[in-house]
Amino acid sequence: MDAGSRLPCDRAQLRSWMIDYITAVLAIPAEKIDANAAFDSYGFDSVEAVVMAGVMEEEFGVPVDPIQLFEHPTIADFSARYAREETPATASPPAS
Amino acid sequence: MTAPEVSLVVVSYEIARELPRTLRSLAPPYQRACPRGRSEIIVVDNGSSRPPEAAAFADLDADLRVLHQESPTVSPVAAVNTGLAAARAPLVGVFIDGARLASPGLVAGALAAAALHPRPVVATLNYQLGPALHYDAASHGYDQAAEDRLLAGIGWPADGTRLFEVSTPEFRAGEAGPILESNGLFLPRALWDELGGYDTAFTEPGGGVVNADTLLRACALPGTQLIRLLGEGTFHQFHGGLSTSTHDKAIAVLKRGAIAYQRRRGVPLRTTRTPGWLFDARTGRRRWE
Repeated sequence: MDAGSRLPCDRAQLRSWMIDYITAVLAIPAEKIDANAAFDSYGFDSVEAVVMAGVMEEEFGVPVDPIQLFEHPTIADFSARYAREETPATASPPAS
Repeated sequence: MTAPEVSLVVVSYEIARELPRTLRSLAPPYQRACPRGRSEIIVVDNGSSRPPEAAAFADLDADLRVLHQESPTVSPVAAVNTGLAAARAPLVGVFIDGARLASPGLVAGALAAAALHPRPVVATLNYQLGPALHYDAASHGYDQAAEDRLLAGIGWPADGTRLFEVSTPEFRAGEAGPILESNGLFLPRALWDELGGYDTAFTEPGGGVVNADTLLRACALPGTQLIRLLGEGTFHQFHGGLSTSTHDKAIAVLKRGAIAYQRRRGVPLRTTRTPGWLFDARTGRRRWE
C-alpha cells in the first residue's frame, strides 16, 4: 500500500479490526485501548506493529508498509488515513 | 569420555571474523564455573565459502567439534537440527546466530536455571554490541572497525561482564517485557526431542522467524516453565546479518517472516509476553512466580 492507496474497508471496520487484533495480542479488554493514544502507550511495541502490518496485508490483500503505522501511530489516525474514503451523505438542497 | 552437562550448538555462516570470538566466549576459562568437561561446543557450518575447521580453535581449552552441514540451504534450520542430533548432554543450548558473544556466566547460569524446574525453557536475553541496534548502526558511525575498537576498549575478553557497558538491549520494555526470540535458548534434551527440534518448514533465508517460533512452541509444551536468565546475555557482533543490516531490511525481514508465520501457523506471530520466572544468574535469586 503506497502512501496514496487505502485498505478495502471503511474506517469503522479498520478501527474495529485493529482493536480486535491488538487486544488479542496484548490479552487485554478492548476498554483498555484508547484509539487516540499511541500504540506504545498501552504496550504495543514496534515489533508487534511490524507483525500487524504483515497480518493486515494478509487479511485485506493490500500491501501494508509498517512505516505507515509508525507515521500514523494511533488506531484513530491510521484508520482515518488508510481506510476507504467514505462517500459523503447526500447533501440536502439549500432552503429556498 | 564423560558426557558433558551442557551442549552448545552454534550455527556458523560466513562469520569468519566473528566466530573465533564467539567460541572463545563459550569456552573456559572465559566461561566461569564451567571447566572443560562440563560443556561441549558443536559448531555447525551452514555452507560458508571458507568453512571453519576445528583445528583453528585448538588453542581453546574446550571440547569442540565442527560439523559441516550437508546440502546447506539459505535456512539455518537443518544445521540447528544437525547440532541437536549430535549433542550429548542432557541440557542443550542453541545459538542460531554464531555471531553472538556470551557473557561469562551464561553457561553456568543456564545450568543453574535449568535445575529449577523439571521442564525448563531457559531464555537468555539478546543484546547488540555498540551504541544502537545494528540496523541503525550506520547513523551512529558504527561498523566492524568501531566494534573492534570497542571490544579493545573494554579489554575484552579479560572481563566479559563489561559487554553490558557497551551494548544495546534488543528488548524495549525491560528484562521482563516482551521478547521475540532468544539467541541462546536452553532446553533439556528430552524437550528438544518432544519439540522435534527447529521446524524444517521454515525454509526462508535465515529461517525467517523460526527462532521466535521455537520459543513460542517450547513455552506452549505442556508443563514447561519459561525462565529468563538475567545478568547474562548474548551480544551480537556487527556482521551485516539478514535482519540486522539496515532499518528497512530489518523491517522487511520481520514482516515477511510474520506473513509466512501467519500462513504456516494460522495465527499471528506473537512476542513472548509472559515474564515467566526471572532468574538472576549473578545472585541466584528467582522472582516473579
